[in-house]
Amino acid sequence: MSDTYIIQIKDLTKIFGNGVEIRALDGVNLNIERGEFLAIVGPSGSGKSTLLNQIGILDTPTSGTILLDGVDVTKMSDKQRSITRNRQLGFIFQYHHLLPDFNALENAMMPLLISGVKSSRAREVASLMLHEVGLGDRMEHRPNQLSGGQNQRVAIARALVNNPSIVIGDEPTGNLDTKSSESIYELLRKLNREHKQTFILVTHDERMAAKTDRIIRLVDGRIAANSHNSV
Amino acid sequence: MFELDVATRHIRSRRRQTVFSIIAVSLAVAIIIIMMSMMSGMLSLMMESTIENQPHITVFPKENEDYIHLYHGLEKNILDREDVEAISSYFQGEAALQYKHSAEGVLLYGINPDDENRVVNREKDMLAGEFASLANPGSRIILGFKLANNLDVGIGDTVTAQIPGAEPTDFTITGIFQTGTPVDETIAFTNLERLQDFYGSGDVVTGLGVRLSDVYAADTIASRIDMETGYDAVSWIEQNSDILSLLKSSEGLVYLIYIIIFTISGFGIANILIMIVMEKVGEIGMLMAMGASRRSIMLIFLLEAGILGLTGVMIGWILGYVAALAIAAITIPIPPEMYFGMDHLPVEIELKNFITAGIFAMVINTLAGVFPARRASRMDPVEAIYSV
Repeated sequence: MSDTYIIQIKDLTKIFGNGVEIRALDGVNLNIERGEFLAIVGPSGSGKSTLLNQIGILDTPTSGTILLDGVDVTKMSDKQRSITRNRQLGFIFQYHHLLPDFNALENAMMPLLISGVKSSRAREVASLMLHEVGLGDRMEHRPNQLSGGQNQRVAIARALVNNPSIVIGDEPTGNLDTKSSESIYELLRKLNREHKQTFILVTHDERMAAKTDRIIRLVDGRIAANSHNSV
Repeated sequence: MFELDVATRHIRSRRRQTVFSIIAVSLAVAIIIIMMSMMSGMLSLMMESTIENQPHITVFPKENEDYIHLYHGLEKNILDREDVEAISSYFQGEAALQYKHSAEGVLLYGINPDDENRVVNREKDMLAGEFASLANPGSRIILGFKLANNLDVGIGDTVTAQIPGAEPTDFTITGIFQTGTPVDETIAFTNLERLQDFYGSGDVVTGLGVRLSDVYAADTIASRIDMETGYDAVSWIEQNSDILSLLKSSEGLVYLIYIIIFTISGFGIANILIMIVMEKVGEIGMLMAMGASRRSIMLIFLLEAGILGLTGVMIGWILGYVAALAIAAITIPIPPEMYFGMDHLPVEIELKNFITAGIFAMVINTLAGVFPARRASRMDPVEAIYSV
């Protein structure tokens, strides 16, 4: 089965304890297929971002397992987690988190440089990726010289430059106006189809969620609904 | 190496703070180089003056004896030893020198000028006349510059030497010397045989001065002479032990000052790095999400500390060098007979001082970078990313 499912989550629980115990995730079970374009929705505090951070191995669960491509990431060392994040995962956050002192091209190159790819090769790949997200003519611009939508496109290019098998987006259009949101959504969808990568997006935007393959609805850290869309 | 890339961009993005922290490090390095150069200069001036103006070993009579009787044999015994270059026997006695109505108490040294010049170069200290004029066993005397001033005498004048129980004897002044030390006021040289006659002591001496080829072998050779001959041999190191231990302890104090100065400049670097870390929290989180290890994050900030430190050190080296040269060029308006006859601040520019100051600064600057770097590397990526 692990050939079909790129992500298998079993009994995943995350408890934040700071005096008062908060169950952010409460026994979540979820399988995600390779190449799926999936939305996680739910009210604030329902555990959407927590689940996303667990899948992105940015955080560790209190209990339960997460298999990425059949490998249990909850048992990985800090170093292995860094390597897995670099090779298998791409991140897009609500705020683009581009490095302000680097231009668009250099920002898009960063995951490649971190993985040890030569600068000249990284430049080539990142440049292609920026062309793909429609910023071929803005490569020398710094984040403060680009619009919100353009910065988010750079962030997308950066997330995809290492050709990860899973792309994670936490409210990737949350900071953008409707028009930019739609074009970013279309871009993500296009990349998903062309690159056959798995996209998992957390969103508040029900219209955007409705356009994905599947919607996972979280309430109080549990999956309340798991429905396939007919796109 | 992306860590170096990120580090240099961080530094460049905070130009003003960067400049100030580099200035702090370079000033610290420059100040310490100047202090070290002056210390070295002062130290070698004192050492040189000590080593050049006195015998490296002085041999005194045996315990409870006033004189060395068979000194010719002892001279030969010592001269035959390794590292011994020259030897000069002397007779020393107290006397009063009188000229007209002035009188001064002095230490009279009877010497053989050729031998004495080989042990301590007296000729170079001569202000007037020649030291070699004492080769003649006649009643000739050479006085210190201050002593001559106090008695108000010059070359060609005749002073009268008096000791209890002996006839007053006249000596003609044939030279005046100046060493820049207190001996200028208290010592007078005369011919050895003449002084032995004056004191009626016969052919004896009160001591032997020895010059060595290796001044630092003085302790070993002195103790060997002491053991083998029974005479009391004292090295220059032992004779100046008070000054030498004072120099040693002052060196410790100076190093404490160095540490304080460097620590202050280190705080400058720590400060700018803490600011960068606080400002770049989200960026650090994102680098971690992209797969940068905690080691890489740590390295980024240590590199920043290193770059700031190294730039500061290099500028400090140049500043320190130029300042040391400038200080060495300043002429001090003090009478030359004071402070070892120096008329310039004793500055000795030594490579080892530059290296020491540089290493010192780099160690402290790197330590200053450790705290912010650890803080950055220990961040929780989730907290860091969502803090913005």
